[in-house]
Amino acid sequence: MDQNLVDLTEKLSLSSNKIVLTSSDGDSFEIHEAVARKSQTIAEMLDAGCTGTIPLHNVTGKILDRVIDYCITHVKEDGPFEEEEEAEEKEAKKKWDAEFVKVDLETIFELILAANYLNIKGLIGLTSQAVADHIKDKTPEDVREIFGIENDFTPEEEEAVRNEHAWAFEDSK
Amino acid sequence: MNYFPDEVIEHIFDFIASHKDRNSISLVSKSWHKIERCSRKRVFIGNCYAINPERLIERFPSLKSLTLKGKPHFADFNLVPHEWGGFVHPWIVALAKARVGLEELRLKRMVVSDESLELLSRSFAGFKSLVLVSCEGFTTDGLASIAANCRHLRELDLQENEIEDHRGQWLNCFPESSTALTSLNFSCLKGETNLAALERLVARSPNLESLKVNRAVPLDALTRLMSCAPQLVDLGVGSYENEPDQESFVKLMDAIKKCTSLRSLSGFSEVAPLCLTAFYPICQNLTSLNLSYAAEIQGNHVVRFIQFCKRLQRLWILDSIGDKGLEVVASTCKELQELRVFPSDLHDEEDNNEASVTEIGLVAISAGCPKLHSILYFCKQMTNAALITVAKNCPNFIRFRLCILEPNKPDHTTSQSLDEGFGAIVQACKGLRRLSVSGLLTDKVFLYIGMYAEQLEMLSIAFAGDTDKGMLYVLNGCKKMRKLEIRDSPFGNAALLADVDKYRTMRSLWMSSCEVTLGGCKRLARNAPWLNVEIINENENNDLMMERNEEDEREKVDRLYLYRTVVGARKDAPPCVTIL
Repeated sequence: MDQNLVDLTEKLSLSSNKIVLTSSDGDSFEIHEAVARKSQTIAEMLDAGCTGTIPLHNVTGKILDRVIDYCITHVKEDGPFEEEEEAEEKEAKKKWDAEFVKVDLETIFELILAANYLNIKGLIGLTSQAVADHIKDKTPEDVREIFGIENDFTPEEEEAVRNEHAWAFEDSK
Repeated sequence: MNYFPDEVIEHIFDFIASHKDRNSISLVSKSWHKIERCSRKRVFIGNCYAINPERLIERFPSLKSLTLKGKPHFADFNLVPHEWGGFVHPWIVALAKARVGLEELRLKRMVVSDESLELLSRSFAGFKSLVLVSCEGFTTDGLASIAANCRHLRELDLQENEIEDHRGQWLNCFPESSTALTSLNFSCLKGETNLAALERLVARSPNLESLKVNRAVPLDALTRLMSCAPQLVDLGVGSYENEPDQESFVKLMDAIKKCTSLRSLSGFSEVAPLCLTAFYPICQNLTSLNLSYAAEIQGNHVVRFIQFCKRLQRLWILDSIGDKGLEVVASTCKELQELRVFPSDLHDEEDNNEASVTEIGLVAISAGCPKLHSILYFCKQMTNAALITVAKNCPNFIRFRLCILEPNKPDHTTSQSLDEGFGAIVQACKGLRRLSVSGLLTDKVFLYIGMYAEQLEMLSIAFAGDTDKGMLYVLNGCKKMRKLEIRDSPFGNAALLADVDKYRTMRSLWMSSCEVTLGGCKRLARNAPWLNVEIINENENNDLMMERNEEDEREKVDRLYLYRTVVGARKDAPPCVTIL
């Protein structure tokens, strides 16, 4: 995937500007500006004049590492350097994405939070879909457990909502 | 555990679409309930009187797609008075007033007026899709408003509606700038069509995938339409009783050959055999074929046609195909999933066995089509042995509707009831969700249904059973029952009242010409205030019914329709309907 970057910087004759991102737990990552700009948040910071090192207080090193992998893989899309892709390349990326989210739920949660904070559109979508897949076909009790959420409905409130669902807003058949 | 900002939850919910999942997540917590309801786009309401428009909008203000169903199913058999209800107008008024961004409206068995359609067309700037199935009450003037005012219209799909055709220029009302159509179905219109307007519309709709014209579109027009829309996937043709001349035939065939994406074919209210042969070039691509309107064409022409359709998954046909024809289907259509065989002549006095189907055809299909899961079969006779064989051949039925035309007809070889046959079906088909029974049936068949049909959601009963026990077996046994409709069967108050709470778990119950009395219905209504218990008596009016004294509590109720609701008795009931 590094070939992408070489091609890009050649094509655009950009100085290969490097940005350093530091994680909440002190790890540093040096990456090309094109890659960093996949994050709308970072892009805005750069446009506002930030240079050199950008501290990311909300993201651990372990997660930032993965996020950067994603950005490198997808650097050609949705960004300032958008390019048309071959069908083969698209297929390869799809497979890569599928593998990317084959991790434990805790990690996916951290990834979705990071993607949201860094505002990386494709990654938000990918991780949201992964979480949604975990919720599908589950009962409210199961979902509460997965997310560690307390049930704050009173029994009467809950029954009223359940009735409304069952009686008015059914599953379509 | 983790803290998720609302916007992250919203992103996740973007990928949760099914009504069931959305209902589940909205029960997780109050905060999730709010996020979910503000983001829900598609709502399905199986009974329009279970809730009202105000409650709908209050809960789901961001709604884009609404599906509503009105009259109960037996309305299809003329058992529900026209004025019974199911009016869409209050819904459209409320949605317009609340400025809901409605884009799609799908209605089934509802009353729609031209006024409603006009209001709809003017109130929702982004409106894209209107699907009306078995609706009534409007004219082509209403369609003209839709055509003229819905700038972003993509889909106008009219299936089996009663539409007064003013033979106007509604097709002309699509502005020249309208180029977004993907689906246009006006097959149920009875009048003349402005062909020039239609051709221009199709020519400027490059995304048109589904086109179903009415009977008044002649062959040469059809040829021109297909020529400028070779991308069509789904085509419904008109009526062609005259054999085309050589030149027309060649032109038609050439146009058809170019439609390489065509997968679904319907229409043919009349079709000369030669016309049918023009479609041979695309038969091998067809996955769906509906020839159930082609009453005049002989079975053998239909059979010859089907022989080329090796990829059919869905076939709707008339019983004029005969058992022999079904045997051909069985050996040709190995991908068949859904079959409907309709009666070609309900008033046929002669016992013309050539032009109908029997248990032989059904067995052949079950043996030849391993993927079959849905069947609707009208026939003149049946046997237990055949049904037992069918059950063994096809344990994967999800929908099994058998309609023996003569009520109470027994197994014609043994003169016994068909209890054992249907018993075999429910026992073998563990995934069965919909069942219609017919023929001579005792309480025993319902014992079987209650015992085995664990997934059954909809059951239609006519002229069947002996005592209340029959209905009780079903109510007690079928835990997933949603819609139960019964006519002309000896079930009465004992069955109706045995387990009132059962009706909390069902969408509706219909009973007509049964043994339930006014007293029984009144008692039910008293014990279940969350039900609307409707008595439909076409020859009565409200006031007369309420004045009745105790004697008349024993009077049998003509038609009973009950359904659960969160909003109490409806206010729009006509005089022939009393809500207890």
